[in-house]
Amino acid sequence: MTISNSISIDKVISELKLVLDKKNNILTEYEERFCYAYDATAIGEKLYLPDVVVLPENTEQVAQIMKIANKYKIPVITRGAGTNLCGGCIPLKSGIVLHTSKLNKIISIDKDNLTCVAEAGVVVEKLQQEVEKLGLFYPPDPSNLKVSTIGGSVALSSSGPRCFKYGGTKDYVLGLEVVTAKGKIINIGGNTVKNVTGYNLSQLFVGSEGTLGIVTRVTLKLIPLPESKQVLLVFFDSIDDAATAVTDIISHKITPSTLDLMDQKTMDTVEQFHPTGLPTHYDAALVIEIDGIADTIFVQAKQIEEICYKNNAKDVRIAKDKKEADEIWFARRSAFGAVARMKPNVITEDAVVPRNKIPQMVKAIRKTADKYNLNVCTMGHAGDGNLHPNFSLDLRDHEEHERLEKAIEELFDAAIELGGTLSGEHGIGMSKAKFMNKVASNEVLEYMKLIKNSFDPDDILNPGKILIK
Amino acid sequence: MKKLENYSEDIYKCSKCGICLAACPVYEETGNEATLSRGFFTLLHGALNNKIPLKKLAKYLDYCTTCKACFDFCPSGISAEEIILAARSYFYEHGDISAIKKSIVKAFNSNMILKGLGFSAFIYRALQGPFWFDQLGGLSSQFNLISNIVNSQTQEYIKYKKLSPVGDKKEINAVYFPGCINNYFNASVKNATVMVCEKNGIDLDISPNFACCGIPARGIGDMQSFISLAKHNIGQIDLEQIDYLITDCATCGMVWDIYPEYLEGEYKEKALLLAQKNMNIYKFLVQFDIFLPDNVEDNKIVTYHDPCHLKRSQKVDKEPRKFLSLLPGIKFEEMKNADRCCGASGLYFLSKPGISQSISKRKAENILNTKANIVTTSCPSCKIGLSQGLSLCNRKMPVYQPVELLANIYFNKMN
Ligand SMILES: Cc1cc2nc3c(=O)[nH]c(=O)nc-3n(C[C@H](O)[C@H](O)[C@H](O)COP(=O)(O)OP(=O)(O)OC[C@H]3O[C@@H](n4cnc5c(N)ncnc54)[C@H](O)[C@@H]3O)c2cc1C
Ligand code: SF4
Ligand code: SF4
Repeated sequence: MTISNSISIDKVISELKLVLDKKNNILTEYEERFCYAYDATAIGEKLYLPDVVVLPENTEQVAQIMKIANKYKIPVITRGAGTNLCGGCIPLKSGIVLHTSKLNKIISIDKDNLTCVAEAGVVVEKLQQEVEKLGLFYPPDPSNLKVSTIGGSVALSSSGPRCFKYGGTKDYVLGLEVVTAKGKIINIGGNTVKNVTGYNLSQLFVGSEGTLGIVTRVTLKLIPLPESKQVLLVFFDSIDDAATAVTDIISHKITPSTLDLMDQKTMDTVEQFHPTGLPTHYDAALVIEIDGIADTIFVQAKQIEEICYKNNAKDVRIAKDKKEADEIWFARRSAFGAVARMKPNVITEDAVVPRNKIPQMVKAIRKTADKYNLNVCTMGHAGDGNLHPNFSLDLRDHEEHERLEKAIEELFDAAIELGGTLSGEHGIGMSKAKFMNKVASNEVLEYMKLIKNSFDPDDILNPGKILIK
Repeated sequence: MKKLENYSEDIYKCSKCGICLAACPVYEETGNEATLSRGFFTLLHGALNNKIPLKKLAKYLDYCTTCKACFDFCPSGISAEEIILAARSYFYEHGDISAIKKSIVKAFNSNMILKGLGFSAFIYRALQGPFWFDQLGGLSSQFNLISNIVNSQTQEYIKYKKLSPVGDKKEINAVYFPGCINNYFNASVKNATVMVCEKNGIDLDISPNFACCGIPARGIGDMQSFISLAKHNIGQIDLEQIDYLITDCATCGMVWDIYPEYLEGEYKEKALLLAQKNMNIYKFLVQFDIFLPDNVEDNKIVTYHDPCHLKRSQKVDKEPRKFLSLLPGIKFEEMKNADRCCGASGLYFLSKPGISQSISKRKAENILNTKANIVTTSCPSCKIGLSQGLSLCNRKMPVYQPVELLANIYFNKMN
């Protein structure tokens, strides 16, 4: 269905040039397109080159671009910061990469109604900073929020450590402006927190990975900014103790904003590359953040400390000031980077299991890594049962790569057996499309295909992702 | 000196995580992946694997201001700046550099440089000449901007005056490396540095016949000229006679730190010893109990811009702030993103005027938001960036070095 023969591409490009009036907003050089053949997914030496890259500056231009693409039935792959780990932005069937880097305006922040409207390319952290200036809070916090875009995080339903208490991106999307496969601009959802007018189409777009339409603007729900917060770092001799401590904290009706987990290997690696004085002999550590009214927090921190000791914690550190809190967060946030320094490549997986199955899942990860002789550091969000095993390896070593592929498939089976699933927050994209039938029945997949077909009958929106034809 | 080939592992190590997108001032303006480190490494990796001819990349690597901001964030710890400079050196050796740069190189390689007229001075003089206006086409319509930038460099705020020291003379052998701007163009900062030191009982040794530090050559990849300038400068110093090597220019200071990497044998050893003695003027001064006159009737708000080559290369950022906060009659006000690139970056403001100006304008907006009366920095190139940005915001504001403020206080108290 896709055309990539040179004659029509030239035509497509000349029509695109009429839409994108600035010459810097259309990239046709081989070298420029080469940069857009990749996202953060490690795909090795494979090369899927787009035919052209466009940087539209407003919704109208996006609609015009989509009209041209629809006319020639050429694929459009939307790209935010290109930081996804599932090959979501890889132009598998060439076509147009539509980069939202210039759709980066915050349109409005409504202090009275606790909502805001932002263009798709606005960076999550930037939005958070702007709303916080007004005493408001946008909680979703993918760990790369410094670069992750609102559009990308909606399209992937991203979330982060704070998900346990506050939920993820999906819980904050009220309405969307979307450009359809035919180039029409539609507004779905609304700007009220309650809304039961027909099918909830905005939620359908959350996590749709650019396969149903191009999100150009998002209306988000905000909440009041918590007065203060406190961080604790707790060490355990066994991952089982850490997991029971988590359950115990929750059963005491405490809802921390973060319940993050690092295993021994992770701490060891962090210490190696970004020394902050983390002990390296404990089996696991929890990073626990609580927020709310200052007095309550003080009491809760003490309570958590007690509960942890009762569950055989070996050491509990309560941050005394902002500096200590920053240090704890620095250690946690450096984890990915540290793993990345061990070997040239790092593959981050994203399994999710029911919370009380975390110890079994961590053990399964360790066992599988041992079996296939792979280097793995496991970290994750213990509150949500979401684990990120980070494998560090050299993908040029084909034999090692093959071992990894086998290990990953076994891990998915383990997660599914424990009642979990393939992806907590990183999405399906091209990397996991082949595993979809492990978690969804044929009927479910058929319905998904029907949905895809009704939004995008010619399969020009990010083809080859989520569903394999 | 590492060659581009020696960096292939580093290039491969880029995980494409994209964290650098948040750091890069250029990407903020272009929105184009081919203009920042992630794209550069993707391209370089492609080139090293024969998917792209290496020489095609020169055009893209030219977008980098070499501000090093991405290195601070990069989880894999890869230095874009180092690798880009290695690539530029490759391009230089293979003759793949742009016409503008070629003409600079020609002038630069003529012996004028070592004989007297500094390279930077050449640039500033040339800026006023018709040649550049032709070369730079687009800029010629911006006469106002250019003349504001040139003015920012030519105003000699501080004239030298011998001041009598307060207290005893200190037994310190401090050699001063003034750099091209001070030497050949505008001695205001040099005058201020010497006056402040003299007042505090420190006689700077300013006699050696130093040449340009070599950074413009390194910037375009002409490592041979860089190395010969390094040797020339190192040759001027007697190791027996030096406790400190003082610089007030962020870039010159950085260069003394990196000379060893480019040298071998005896020169390398000497360069290593000198790198240990190399110290920025503010780090040097704040060690002492600096003399501060009372009754200064002034009430100025001052802000400070961190030069990339001072904060990121030399890890000096607290000292200039401490120095400023000591000064009587001055209130220090921090600006937002004080350590973000100013946009000038050596020749960048000439080679990429559009991007450079947008970066400078953002900087100027942050300066203006502090309500400061004066903006300070510690680098002549940054002075260009700050003046350029302020000029684009239609504002005039003096751009000083912090030592100029103290020299001025001394001066007024003496009269
Ligand atoms: C170091 C690192 C840490 C990470 N940490 C987390 C984490 O903690 N939590 C988490 O959930 N994820 C995480 N991720 C994964 C990913 O970065 C995030 O999900 C991120 O929010 C994606 O945003 P983006 O702007 O980079 O999207 P992109 O990668 O650009 O796009 C993602 C997908 O959305 C589509 N898309 C993008 N913009 C639009 C649009 N406007 N309309 C329609 N479709 C669109 C793309 O086609 C693609 O399929 C991490 C990734 C890295 C590299
Ligand atoms: S931050 Fe470093 S590893 Fe990540 S994309 Fe940029 S250069 Fe590559
Ligand atoms: S050194 Fe500065 S300009 Fe160059 S890629 Fe890194 S952040 Fe961008």
